[in-house]
Amino acid sequence: MHNVWLIARREYVERIRTRGFLITTVMIPLIMGGFIFVSAFINSNSESIAHIAVVSSDTQLALDLQTELQQPQESRPRSVRQPRITVDAINLGTQSAQATRALVDRELDSGDIDGYLWITPPVAPAKAGPTRPTFTFTPRSSEQDYLRSTLAAALSTVLMRQQLAHRGIVASDADSLLQPVDVLAAHAPRRQDRESAVVSVAILFFLMYFVIMLYGMNVARSIIEEKTSRIFEVMLATIRPEEMMAGKILGVGSVGLTQVGIWLTAALLLSAGSVAAHPGGQGVHIALTAAQIAYFFVYFILAYAFYSSIAAALGAMTNSEQELQQLNMFLVLPLVVCFATLMSILNYPDSAMARVLALVPPFTPLLMYLRVSLGHPTHAEIIASILLTSASIYAIVWVTSRIYRVGVLMYGKRPTLPELLRWLKYS
Amino acid sequence: MSIVQLHHIRKVYDTKVAVEDLSFTIEPGTMFGLLGPNGSGKTSSIRMMIGITLPDSGSVSLFDRPFTRSALSRVGYLPEERGLYKKMNVLDQLVFLGQLHGLSASVASRRATLWCERLDIVEAIPKKTEDLSKGMQQKIQFIAALLHDPDLILMDEPFSGLDPVNSFLLMSTLVDLCSIGKAVLFSTHRMDQVEKFCNSIALIHRGHLVLSGSMREIKSIYPRNHVLIHFEGDDSFLNHPSIEHITRYNGNVEIKLRPSATLADDTQSLLTQAVAHARVTRFEVMEPTLEEIFIEKVQQTLPGKNGRNLSMAQLDRPNGGALDA
Repeated sequence: MHNVWLIARREYVERIRTRGFLITTVMIPLIMGGFIFVSAFINSNSESIAHIAVVSSDTQLALDLQTELQQPQESRPRSVRQPRITVDAINLGTQSAQATRALVDRELDSGDIDGYLWITPPVAPAKAGPTRPTFTFTPRSSEQDYLRSTLAAALSTVLMRQQLAHRGIVASDADSLLQPVDVLAAHAPRRQDRESAVVSVAILFFLMYFVIMLYGMNVARSIIEEKTSRIFEVMLATIRPEEMMAGKILGVGSVGLTQVGIWLTAALLLSAGSVAAHPGGQGVHIALTAAQIAYFFVYFILAYAFYSSIAAALGAMTNSEQELQQLNMFLVLPLVVCFATLMSILNYPDSAMARVLALVPPFTPLLMYLRVSLGHPTHAEIIASILLTSASIYAIVWVTSRIYRVGVLMYGKRPTLPELLRWLKYS
Repeated sequence: MSIVQLHHIRKVYDTKVAVEDLSFTIEPGTMFGLLGPNGSGKTSSIRMMIGITLPDSGSVSLFDRPFTRSALSRVGYLPEERGLYKKMNVLDQLVFLGQLHGLSASVASRRATLWCERLDIVEAIPKKTEDLSKGMQQKIQFIAALLHDPDLILMDEPFSGLDPVNSFLLMSTLVDLCSIGKAVLFSTHRMDQVEKFCNSIALIHRGHLVLSGSMREIKSIYPRNHVLIHFEGDDSFLNHPSIEHITRYNGNVEIKLRPSATLADDTQSLLTQAVAHARVTRFEVMEPTLEEIFIEKVQQTLPGKNGRNLSMAQLDRPNGGALDA
């Protein structure tokens, strides 16, 4: 154990001292933060104003709709954030239908308007019963499709008001009748918390993914470096290959943990600062419980141990970075699968797929982390995930240490599969 | 008591036999030369002595006990291919390697400084390893192998790539260590180095032990049948009947005499003839060199034709040209 500690300490100290460590520690949060800031900025500035045209032969209807759509929406609940809408009312009476349609189509194409609503009067107004005109909304692209429901709501209000006016009800009475009912949410902040928890968990997931990728590859690279510099032969004259491998994985992993620790501490300090600055404000803050952070570290360590021992095997099998790149799909592929299921599991953390995948060893640590943070896995599932991952880590380390033992002494060509299987039999 | 005892060890890599039925013993205070051409199994044998690889059959004993890893704290190893952490500071590196051998950081650091003084590389101590010259790196590696004061010192090709001054410095350091009772084994394919310093040798070829024993014994088995002559003038004395083989250089010849019971008389008569015909400036009767002994032994064990022109260069080839002819 003493040797493992010595190797791990050397690995840790030498890595922490490098300029590369300092740069990644500072740059990664800056890049991530910048990315979040830019996307938030773009989000807040786009979709805020929608410009539509209403084409109708009924001028009154068009104008009423314009008023209804353009009225300030402060009364609406904040969570249903609607864009501000400006409306051009175009009277169809003065021009031919074709000319008008050509005109609005041109405006649509040039981007002056985001869509137009075409109101066709009822075909046979003479018949009994209230007949409604037909409404056709043409959005510029599917992005503006969401305006349809807004328009439908506004139109029914306007038509309702017309009908009420018809029946001789005074406008102010009609307004009070049509006053929308607000159902106040008793636990208003709850959804907010869940949203920001999802964001925090997703950020931690990215962090996990990124650090495992980076430091897993570092383990492989450092083994290759020792093979090229031939230092391992000096080392093997005193210590076992397993000790060397264990020390390396621990040392490199501690560097990763240190880095994540620095980032988390910084993030917690920053968010504490921003919460203090805007009490109850809407600023970005880390909505994590202590248990979530503890689970993060547990699954982070499991995931790292799992993937870095695979990386160690890859490093032992190859002689150069180029060869490593040909093999690193074994490392990347399972991580990419986790990534591909990320959105689905964030939304439905307790779906059947999530429950099954979270118990398949290569995905367990990353996906179970998501489920633990956002879903409601049973205790049995959590325990099973930890046991399964530990067992598979043990199996991988066993195989890897054999490959490592033989592989570090082999030079020249990359081993074939039968050769690898033979290596496993060597003691 | 013996430091190293190899007992019929054998090692096969996939299809290639690296070492076959190799046995020898190294006593304390011995300078032991492990000789053989490239690829003859020297490095494989050394690796088995220190458990980097394990023999397929046979046994290894260190310090009179069957091999265990705990014995490794008494062994210093300089591998053939040098390896150091390039980015590491020299002192840190030596201390780290010393700690792996069980030294405390302070002892390792003190000894490292002393050794650097002894080998005249004090200026390298604060530098990064990658900034040092190849020769200096080799000295650092040399120190790393000796820092924990091992009783058995294994040096795989220790002088390759070193200039004569530094080779001599390292060699005399090893001789000093030997004289205080350490056992030193070094492998080389340069037989001339061994002749000067080793008191015991093992010659291996293609994994087989060809010859082993103390230097004096080995040399005494072989008759003094080599004659070196520097001369000017008539070379007709070279028709002398006792001459088996002649090698000519510019202005001198190296002669091998036929084996016979009256070798001393043959030599004398050759000298008389030479003096009668030419002006002799040098006449020296010598033992065969290790290289010649080695070649002769290889020819005996592996019956081949055309063996006379065999040289180390040809032995070096994995499928040895002349031997298979």
